[in-house]
Amino acid sequence: MTRRQLYTGIVAMLACGVIFVMPFLFVFLTAAKTRHEAQALTFTWPSEWQLWQNFMDVIEARNYMLFLAYFNSTVITVVAVTLLVLFGAMVGYVVQRRPSRWNTLIYGFVLAGLMIPPAVVPTIWVLQSLGLFKTISGMILIQIAYGLSFTILLFRSFIAAIPRDLDEAAIVDGAKPLQIFFRVVLPLLKPVTVTVIVVQSIAIFNDFTNPLYYLPGRENVTVQLTLYNFQGQFQTQFNLLFMNILLVTIPPLIVFIFFNRQIVAGMTAGAVKG
Amino acid sequence: MTSVVLQDVRKSFGSLDVIKGIDLTIEAGEFCVFVGPSGCGKSTLLRMISGLETSTSGKMFIDGKDVTAAEPSERGIAMVFQSYALYPHLTVAENIGFGLSLARRPKAEIADKVKQTAETLQLAHLLDRKPKALSGGQRQRVAIGRAIIRNPKVFLFDEPLSNLDASLRSQMRIELTELHAKLGATMIYVTHDQVEAMTMADKIVVLNGGKIEQVGSPMTLYNQPATPFVAGFIGSPKTNLFEGETAAQEGCRIYGIRPEHLTLSTTDGKWKGAVRYVERLGADAIVYLDVPGLPSLVVRTDGDRRLEIGEKLFASPVAGKEVRFQ
Repeated sequence: MTRRQLYTGIVAMLACGVIFVMPFLFVFLTAAKTRHEAQALTFTWPSEWQLWQNFMDVIEARNYMLFLAYFNSTVITVVAVTLLVLFGAMVGYVVQRRPSRWNTLIYGFVLAGLMIPPAVVPTIWVLQSLGLFKTISGMILIQIAYGLSFTILLFRSFIAAIPRDLDEAAIVDGAKPLQIFFRVVLPLLKPVTVTVIVVQSIAIFNDFTNPLYYLPGRENVTVQLTLYNFQGQFQTQFNLLFMNILLVTIPPLIVFIFFNRQIVAGMTAGAVKG
Repeated sequence: MTSVVLQDVRKSFGSLDVIKGIDLTIEAGEFCVFVGPSGCGKSTLLRMISGLETSTSGKMFIDGKDVTAAEPSERGIAMVFQSYALYPHLTVAENIGFGLSLARRPKAEIADKVKQTAETLQLAHLLDRKPKALSGGQRQRVAIGRAIIRNPKVFLFDEPLSNLDASLRSQMRIELTELHAKLGATMIYVTHDQVEAMTMADKIVVLNGGKIEQVGSPMTLYNQPATPFVAGFIGSPKTNLFEGETAAQEGCRIYGIRPEHLTLSTTDGKWKGAVRYVERLGADAIVYLDVPGLPSLVVRTDGDRRLEIGEKLFASPVAGKEVRFQ
């Protein structure tokens, strides 16, 4: 390493530290302060460490609401992501492998899904008439609908890189279309599937606005909505709010740390024929 | 007994006719090679026999059964692809046994058959490896193993050796011929390499522009080509073909003589010409002669013969080896 590389490396590390680590540190420090001290919102060392006390306060708030919120968010995320992977891969496979006149139309819908912003009020009408408003299953379907276009595009470009000879070899071996998909194609989609799982599960777990619109009700709370517990019109308990943020941030962070290598592999795969 | 029968089989992609009416009978146990230049439809014809491509019209029988509309898996065929098409996420054993596991056969039976097949192909020590950890020749053998285990009536090979290097290719040629002798199954083999066609085939089918030019044993095609195309395609270097006055003097429309059926002399002969270029192949030398009145005359001669550019030489055809097309 030359001296120049060393210096630019240090500068880059410092810049990343300011951008990524500082906010996290601020959240952590504020979460450890007393209520009064947190009110000032300054980047200072807590004079009195109250980490455990704040932690217990957040957990116990509103009759252990955070546990229910974790449960709801986990159910929504796991089911929505599972179905997204399944449907996204299937649609991507059919669109890529079976050329027909319908493909243009399907592709048009996929692009429309990316470009047209969702309208909240009509969506609520539709949910109400279907009896899905204020239900977890309705929320799951909404998350699938919002994520499907991106997922299909990702899978489709990846499937294009899987040689068609493999499908044909499986056909000659006697595989039915579903067997080709589940036993040959889907296992080969592992890198892009990991990408979809990470990207979508973080997006859905962290989603604040959609549960706010489509999933009102005390028993339907998701983790991001618990942040409202400590935020009032006239005063906010910043120490508890930041402790809550800390708790809510941890699951996506763990997912990201474990899978971030595969995300890049999936994102760039299919870009160049290899 | 016949194994594969094609009756006026045709294939069009839109308005483009790729296969223009093929009638062909392949006997049981025969090693039949489809050969022809790129784009002549040989791979399409093989894919039609496999069922991966449907025929636009015509009938197709395998083992006496009409399979024109049958699914690939119902035809009793197995196919080896040019790219091998091994499933990258499965081990060698799983690749070979994939068809059986799709058919939900008992695990013990699959393991048994995979082991037998692997021993036939000397793959037994590689069964737990993934395809990416195999060499080209080993992958080729796994692909063949996947075909053998299905115990098909007809094996289909789509240019299986074209991805291998030259020495491995000649070794695999011998292995495939031995395998054919051992299994006694019907094999249909597509290649553009006429050396593979000549060395392996019982019967060669020469295709050109979606039609059959000639069907016959390798030596029949070599000695008695039915058309100028076959005369030019089979054999290397290409047969010297002459039209016009030269052919008229011989009493035909097109006159052909192979480079190896011409003798060179310094004193007398039929055609006199100057040496334009010499290609030395070791055992042989290929001599290009400029003869007045002829396009170019190619002669195969001894590798050791002393030749100089511009030297005047006489070339004469070996009697009885000429071919004349009316």
